[in-house]
Amino acid sequence: MTLIRSKTETPNTQKLSISLLKSLLKSKTGIVGFIILVAVVVVAIFAPILAPYDPTLINPTKMLKPPSWIEGGDPSHLFGTDNLGRDILSRIIYGSRVSLLVGISAVVLAGIIGMLVGLVAGFYGGWVDMILMRLVDSFLAIPNILFALVFLAVFGPSVPTLIIVIGVTNWVAYARIVRGETLSVKEREFVKAARTIGVKNSLIIVRHILPNVMSSFIVISTLSVASTIILEASLSFLGLGIQPPTVSWGGILSDGRDYLATSWWLATLPGLAITVTVLGIIFLGDWLRDVLDPRTER
Amino acid sequence: MSESNVVLNVQQLHTSFKTNSGYVQSVKDVSFQVQKGETLAIVGESGSGKSVTALSIMGLIEKPGVIEKGKIELEQVDLTKINDKEYRKLRGNDIAMIFQEPLTSLNPLFTIGNQIAEAIKLHQGLDTKQAKVNVIELLKRVGIPRAEKVYYSYPHTLSGGMRQRVMIAMALSCKPKLLIADEPTTALDVTIQAQILELMKKLKDENNTAIILITHDLGVVAEMADSVAVMYAGQIVEFADVFTIFADPKHPYTQGLLNSTPKFYEKNEVLQSIKGTVPTSNSMPIGCRFNPRCPYVTQKCLNENPSLKKLDSGRQVRCWLVEEEGETLV
Amino acid sequence: MIKFLIKRLLEFIPVLLIISFIVFTLVFVAGDPVALLLPEDASQEDIENLREALGLDRPFIVQYGTYLSGLLQGDFGKSFRYNSDALPIVLERLPATIELALSAMVVAIIIAIPMGVWSASKRNSFVDLFATGGSVLGKAMPNFWLGIMLILLFSVTLGWLPVSGRGSWMHLILPAITLGTGIAAEMTRLIRSSMLEILSQDYIRTAKSKGLRKFLVIYKHAFRNSLIPVITITALQTSTLVGGALVTETVFSWPGLGQLLIQAINTRDMAIVQASVFVIAILVILMNLIADLLYRVLDPRIKYN
Repeated sequence: MTLIRSKTETPNTQKLSISLLKSLLKSKTGIVGFIILVAVVVVAIFAPILAPYDPTLINPTKMLKPPSWIEGGDPSHLFGTDNLGRDILSRIIYGSRVSLLVGISAVVLAGIIGMLVGLVAGFYGGWVDMILMRLVDSFLAIPNILFALVFLAVFGPSVPTLIIVIGVTNWVAYARIVRGETLSVKEREFVKAARTIGVKNSLIIVRHILPNVMSSFIVISTLSVASTIILEASLSFLGLGIQPPTVSWGGILSDGRDYLATSWWLATLPGLAITVTVLGIIFLGDWLRDVLDPRTER
Repeated sequence: MSESNVVLNVQQLHTSFKTNSGYVQSVKDVSFQVQKGETLAIVGESGSGKSVTALSIMGLIEKPGVIEKGKIELEQVDLTKINDKEYRKLRGNDIAMIFQEPLTSLNPLFTIGNQIAEAIKLHQGLDTKQAKVNVIELLKRVGIPRAEKVYYSYPHTLSGGMRQRVMIAMALSCKPKLLIADEPTTALDVTIQAQILELMKKLKDENNTAIILITHDLGVVAEMADSVAVMYAGQIVEFADVFTIFADPKHPYTQGLLNSTPKFYEKNEVLQSIKGTVPTSNSMPIGCRFNPRCPYVTQKCLNENPSLKKLDSGRQVRCWLVEEEGETLV
Repeated sequence: MIKFLIKRLLEFIPVLLIISFIVFTLVFVAGDPVALLLPEDASQEDIENLREALGLDRPFIVQYGTYLSGLLQGDFGKSFRYNSDALPIVLERLPATIELALSAMVVAIIIAIPMGVWSASKRNSFVDLFATGGSVLGKAMPNFWLGIMLILLFSVTLGWLPVSGRGSWMHLILPAITLGTGIAAEMTRLIRSSMLEILSQDYIRTAKSKGLRKFLVIYKHAFRNSLIPVITITALQTSTLVGGALVTETVFSWPGLGQLLIQAINTRDMAIVQASVFVIAILVILMNLIADLLYRVLDPRIKYN
């Protein structure tokens, strides 16, 4: 019992965070990822201070100005302007807010749903498990983006629907891990013993299942924030995600597509923002996987 | 001992592995010779450097491993000096190897016939049809029933003993001058072990093959070997013919090994174990490498590593007690 | 073999049932399409009549039952926009999507196999660094952006390839690369890690001890073995591939299922949406079955039971 309990004791978590920090300093890509993510978070939080203009401010006198370092560029608009004369830099800065908000909230929601489904399936077994696992199969057979598109078509696009949609489509990976862990924990002697003496299921979940799935959870969540940001951008690009006047990277990109022949920066720069952000999160996630979850292959 | 009979001549072999904290020597200053038709047993616990010695001879030491020093002469050709292509011509042809784990040493996705024929086609330039005739002949020779059927079987359908026979057939397919058998019977049942050893003996007598037998099982040594090299922590500590080793072991480690093996003709004996474990390559003791476990350890043993001293009748021992007291040991 | 196939096909039934239920519920919640069918000035009575005629006034369960029995007869409902059965319209667009998906797969394989194998056999070399770095980058780029960047370079700036549409093989190149890159990135990673594991197996040492050339050791003895997990996981990603195809089609105006679907969603043509979801789900399930069969062929150890 002592061995098992020690997993959740505080001195170890403190030690763990110190050793995590040490190994982060050793991993070059981990550090790059960490720095990128911190930078994006700071930009999102302080967008009103950092952005030189109101991202929705239309300026008919400065339409389609190229970035300032290019001939014909306007020094007051670093990344140029769009077809309505809006400042691209400001739009990209504000776009980070939606990406992070949707990315993180949707992943939290997916984690909660997946955890519940996995626990129920693992604990109750039998036909409940069978039905839930068929549900998992069904979700695997429909591409995430297709499900999200149908859902958005029905409920109409808005930030909350987007979060719910992506959360509801992404829970499968969590459910599988939690179910697997629940099944194996259920079979262990001390859990059987605990149950026979009437220990509550909730206690078993908190003591034995959560600590064991935590590291996989952190790794999957990090990597899903990356794929969620791409999914949100894709939906916004298709016109079914974030709607104007709210600024999103996918939306800016979609606007820019029509001016590809004349104003390349409109479509290029927001895509670059997405790529760099996602790259940072993947770096961080891969590093976390190496450190926390040695079972999974790189 | 005429020169032409020597098949393999290993001199001062040093093999190391590069780690984060510099080079770690896993084989240090190993020398021995094997003659035609002779079986040399290399004995030692795991971690003593037996398998690394074998892989060095096969030329299969890979990065971060490297042969630092020494000669490996196969019929007067120094294998440490030839290039990759020349080595490939020898491997599976002049030198062949049998591995410890017959269950995992065959590729699960190809038939037995395919895997044995591969070496024959490569080294003898035969086509598939001719190779098949040879393979079936080989399978029969190693005592596999229904060889034609086994030719088309996949490894997972055969038992461990059968798979080891297949490995032997594969190793012998090009009539090698030298066969290295790395723990060939360790993974097998006792009855199967006896059969495999019997088979190896028979095949050796037929072809006059030189064999290096790597094992930790002294029963196997007694059964098979002509001479014995005892390895400890990357070095040879005692070298002698098989009768001498069993009748009059000189090195305390050899004595310990023998005392820890049951003998069927001695009743009521107490089996002894050698206390402690083989030191890892990066925590070698100063002085004699066996000193932490040696019952006769002296101050000198703690300071200096003894050299391998040649005694009369060709035997060699690496021990201060032998150096100082001549041939008599406590 | 036959028994195995039947068993697997039977497993599809509950999955398809669940999908039908989810899709139907969503459409039911979406509200009835009557308002879209009638002119804006239609009277309340006209609306009621049409609702009754279409059976939209009946309870949920009854409507679902009718819907299911229709599905069993291959009736996926009528498209309000095209005013004809939805399924033929969807199936008509399928070949274009399959063409795009298969070409992307070919692109992915051409990139991923040499990269994955090479980087695994020369671990920590420059090639390895390039392959692992490239695969992370390939995963990080949204494919619609990659598509736009390719258009910008090859169509707008260089003028070598057409911007959009379907027709000659020239039209296929950019969409296939766009969709193939993400798949290639994931595949390279998979092949690399699978190869690394296989290369440390005992039978690889056996193959080397026979004197085989490194090329043969890698391609005959290691590569085929490493493909087994790669095929399984790649098949599981069919769904990602099809999802990517939907987006790629929009970027390149490729006249496939994706384009049809986006239009249908924008015009709330739910019969088309439902039929597309079904066709895509069946496609994904079939791909998984094919992969399952394929790795049984590759691995003689697996028996059909």
